[in-house]
Amino acid sequence: MLRMLPLELRRLLHSRFTWLIILLTVLSPAAGLILYKPASASTMLSVYLANPSIAGGVVGGILFAILTVYELDRTVRSRTEVLLDAVVSPLEMTFVRMAALAGTAILTLAFVMLAWLPVSRWLIGSVFGGQDYFLAYLLFMGVALPLCILAAASAYQFTGRADLSLVLFAAFAGLSLTVWEGEWQICWLNPSVWALSDDFSNFRIFRSVAYMRLTWLAALTGLWALSRLCVRQYGKSIAGSFIRNARRIARPAIAVLLLVCSCTAYAAQPLVDRSNPDETVMSFMEIPYLEGVLCSGRSAEVFPDTSSGRVKGRAAYQLVNTSGKSQQASFGVVPGYRVSSVQVNGKAADYSLGDYQEYNEALLEVEIPAEENVELTVEYGGFPQENRNMASMQGGMEISSEYLCLENAALAPRLMNIQPDENMYPASIEITLPRSMTVIPFGSGDAEVVETHEDGTATWRYEHSGTGGIVYAGDYIRQDIEAGGITIEFYYGRKHQAVMEEAKAADAVKAVADYCTEHYGELSFGAGDTLKLIQSRVVGGGYATNGASLLDEADFTFSNLNNASKGAAAGEVMIHELVHQWWGLGNMFDSSDPTNPWTAEGLTVYTTYRIAKELYGEEYAREKYVEQWKKETDDYYQNFYVRNPEYLDSLPEDKQLEISNSLSYVRQYCEMPLKIWKAQELLGGEKAMDEILRGLFNRELDPAYPYLTYEEFLDACGLLEEDLNLDENISI
Amino acid sequence: MEIDIRKVGMTYPSGKRALKDVGIRLKSPSLTGLLGPNGAGKSTLMKLLAAALMPSSGAVFVNGRPLSEKERELKSLLGYLPQDFGLFDELTVTQFLEYMAALKGLAHRKDAVEEVIHAVNLEEKRKAGIRTLSGGQRQRVGIAQALLGDPPFLILDEPTVGLDPEERIHFRNLFSRRAQNRLVLLSTHIIEDVQSVCDQIIVINHGGILFTGTPGELIQAAEGHVGVFWEEEVSREAGLHITARVNTSRGIRCRAVGDDLPSYARSEEPTLEDAYLYLISREEAR
Repeated sequence: MLRMLPLELRRLLHSRFTWLIILLTVLSPAAGLILYKPASASTMLSVYLANPSIAGGVVGGILFAILTVYELDRTVRSRTEVLLDAVVSPLEMTFVRMAALAGTAILTLAFVMLAWLPVSRWLIGSVFGGQDYFLAYLLFMGVALPLCILAAASAYQFTGRADLSLVLFAAFAGLSLTVWEGEWQICWLNPSVWALSDDFSNFRIFRSVAYMRLTWLAALTGLWALSRLCVRQYGKSIAGSFIRNARRIARPAIAVLLLVCSCTAYAAQPLVDRSNPDETVMSFMEIPYLEGVLCSGRSAEVFPDTSSGRVKGRAAYQLVNTSGKSQQASFGVVPGYRVSSVQVNGKAADYSLGDYQEYNEALLEVEIPAEENVELTVEYGGFPQENRNMASMQGGMEISSEYLCLENAALAPRLMNIQPDENMYPASIEITLPRSMTVIPFGSGDAEVVETHEDGTATWRYEHSGTGGIVYAGDYIRQDIEAGGITIEFYYGRKHQAVMEEAKAADAVKAVADYCTEHYGELSFGAGDTLKLIQSRVVGGGYATNGASLLDEADFTFSNLNNASKGAAAGEVMIHELVHQWWGLGNMFDSSDPTNPWTAEGLTVYTTYRIAKELYGEEYAREKYVEQWKKETDDYYQNFYVRNPEYLDSLPEDKQLEISNSLSYVRQYCEMPLKIWKAQELLGGEKAMDEILRGLFNRELDPAYPYLTYEEFLDACGLLEEDLNLDENISI
Repeated sequence: MEIDIRKVGMTYPSGKRALKDVGIRLKSPSLTGLLGPNGAGKSTLMKLLAAALMPSSGAVFVNGRPLSEKERELKSLLGYLPQDFGLFDELTVTQFLEYMAALKGLAHRKDAVEEVIHAVNLEEKRKAGIRTLSGGQRQRVGIAQALLGDPPFLILDEPTVGLDPEERIHFRNLFSRRAQNRLVLLSTHIIEDVQSVCDQIIVINHGGILFTGTPGELIQAAEGHVGVFWEEEVSREAGLHITARVNTSRGIRCRAVGDDLPSYARSEEPTLEDAYLYLISREEAR
């Protein structure tokens, strides 16, 4: 059979049609620059590498499917089948033809990579990386070609007809491009890739796509092996041929084995958890605190393996049990981790790790004894899984020698039902990583190297308070910026240094900090006199906590920082996230009711608009903000389900969630800023509103309820709730 | 090389019964002519021997072993020219033959290809694209691919269709030479081809074997059953099958075969064609 492969390949390459397919496939990544842009992030690699390679996979795959059907049907069309069958068994020829088509696909991929290498280097600029380029074209595009060949060949072998095979393939590809789009395990043709990081690594998303591709490779090879049994022989019908060809038991056995492997890989995928898809269910939050049990401190030693993406660790909790009885402590553990041992006061203790998962956590329950002082130690480890409700945006839990992000239960088991001693959970965290990485705790504390090791790693330690915590690490550069009376520690990836310096991003950061301090006052959330501003791997937004604000790298891309329509200044999401330091997330707004439109986002979006107005002009700000809010809010009021909520209840649960989440977003990010803007107009202008906001920002807080309520805001404005009602046509 | 066909029946999935209880033994060296009217089952029988079909009943044995077990071996020993075939139009003659030679696993492909190109008189067209060839030239390419590697078993289904008379003579002589130490099964409508080169004849009709033997034996069986007469001597004769009408200055002279010759018919020495037609007409009369 091997002797026939080069022969068939040569024959295939003698065909002009084959060369036309190759040429079109080589050109196909261009579709990702113009027509088909599945990766929504604005990083350079998303725009100029992910989109072209995915589009190349889709277009090239479809082209190769056509080539496959054309080639398999060629012997029938040209009536050479009878000559070839007299020399070689048709079953053998299926292998040879498949291998020749796969060989052509490999050759084509090599042409694609060679042709697009200089183009991609030029488009992506200084953040171009050879490894990302190779893996993206291999996984996003390359593997799509054999998958399409297998799918089309299966259809042809089952039906024996070219027209029907093309229809079947079109339906199968259409499913992936429509109904299955975004379902990361089943969108076989167009992998669910929403972003590629410019400045940090992308191993997690490459792993995810590779897993999906291998699952489908097994499935379609199994299907092809099954369809091969239907290859018509000896003048028999499909059933007769199947019975004849299946007599050798190894043939159907291999097909079934491959299909079983594929199904098993699908069901047992290790990358995404099985969190409850209904995100309104928060049963872990409802676990009552234990009576008479306090946590006086905790510590963790964490050892991420940057080559495998796995983590192992040991966490210790100091508990004081004054209840005089044994009780059950609850911890949140990130799915994918296993607990290898739990010890209480040096003795092995009973524990259970539940199967139910919620918000990317599984429940670990440990029996603590009736003793007063309890030292509880948990050893854990594994490959952290991502939340399935965010499965279409994988990549957040990147662990590599270039970047790492461990959040809460992924860092160490998170205490759920034990209250802190003196209103805080003091924690000491040690993390061991390659020496090239800088560890940045997300919060006010700083990490320091306490030990270096001969294997090229270093152990960092930082103090923290809270039940969880987030830590970032990577090859970072730190730039200190004096602004608004504080020092902003600006961390960004070394790969991005040239872009940042050229775009003078630090100046923009200083401008925003100065604006907010001048208009609202100094930061007052106990962050001291420093603020960490951390460029993270692309995550689709940012978030803030005491003393730290996270900025998505997508806001720092070369094109974003040099976008003339934004006045050649840093992206507005960066401004937005910085503003959250003033109008903080959970610090100033009670976030217990996610459906409440009054959240930190309203004031933050409004303030971002004000800064944009100052930086880019009134016309720009009105068009990009106020007009946008009006349009979105108007659409919201006209929304069928808003006007007829009874129909929303009759939809499937996941559809209901999707709609209500999107409506909730509009209320928080568009309707509320518009109401604040209306209040500003009613109060007589921006100056009056600035005075009120300054007063609210610096007001004396109620320690029992330190939140700014909507009523407080209305009272400060001297307005009633109905004063800020918006007409259905948003005429203000 | 020995092929033993034992009680082979073939019914197509459509329900059409193409062969019934066929039993033949073929042994090299031999050039066997397969004769029969259209739809008699000749091509079906040849496809069975080329393992392109599987018999519905009975079995084919190759050198004493069932064909189902020796299929791969048979394919390696076989040169097959089907009646209806196509070629890869995008290739040249040489490329196509090299492709087929490689599929057959021939060791010295170039030499083998050169040899058959020479044998079928296609030297001038060796670099021509197949799509540019005439019907007769395509037929010659088909014959060439069957001859590749000098296989010990040749099945040729209507090989001289589309060839001019000169080429026909060339090819039947070629087949005759090849058959000197091989087994060649030749199906044709042209009795003259069979008469001149075949040492064995199989006559098949309605899926059954009517005759197996030498051409002489077939002719002998028709002796006394071939006659000539003038058309005006009889207007209609039920028992005769007229095989030829020749216009002469005296009128139309008829040649006919039949079980019993009428008195006005003068008995003639049968030719192979007469014998074949006598056999078929007798079968049809039944």
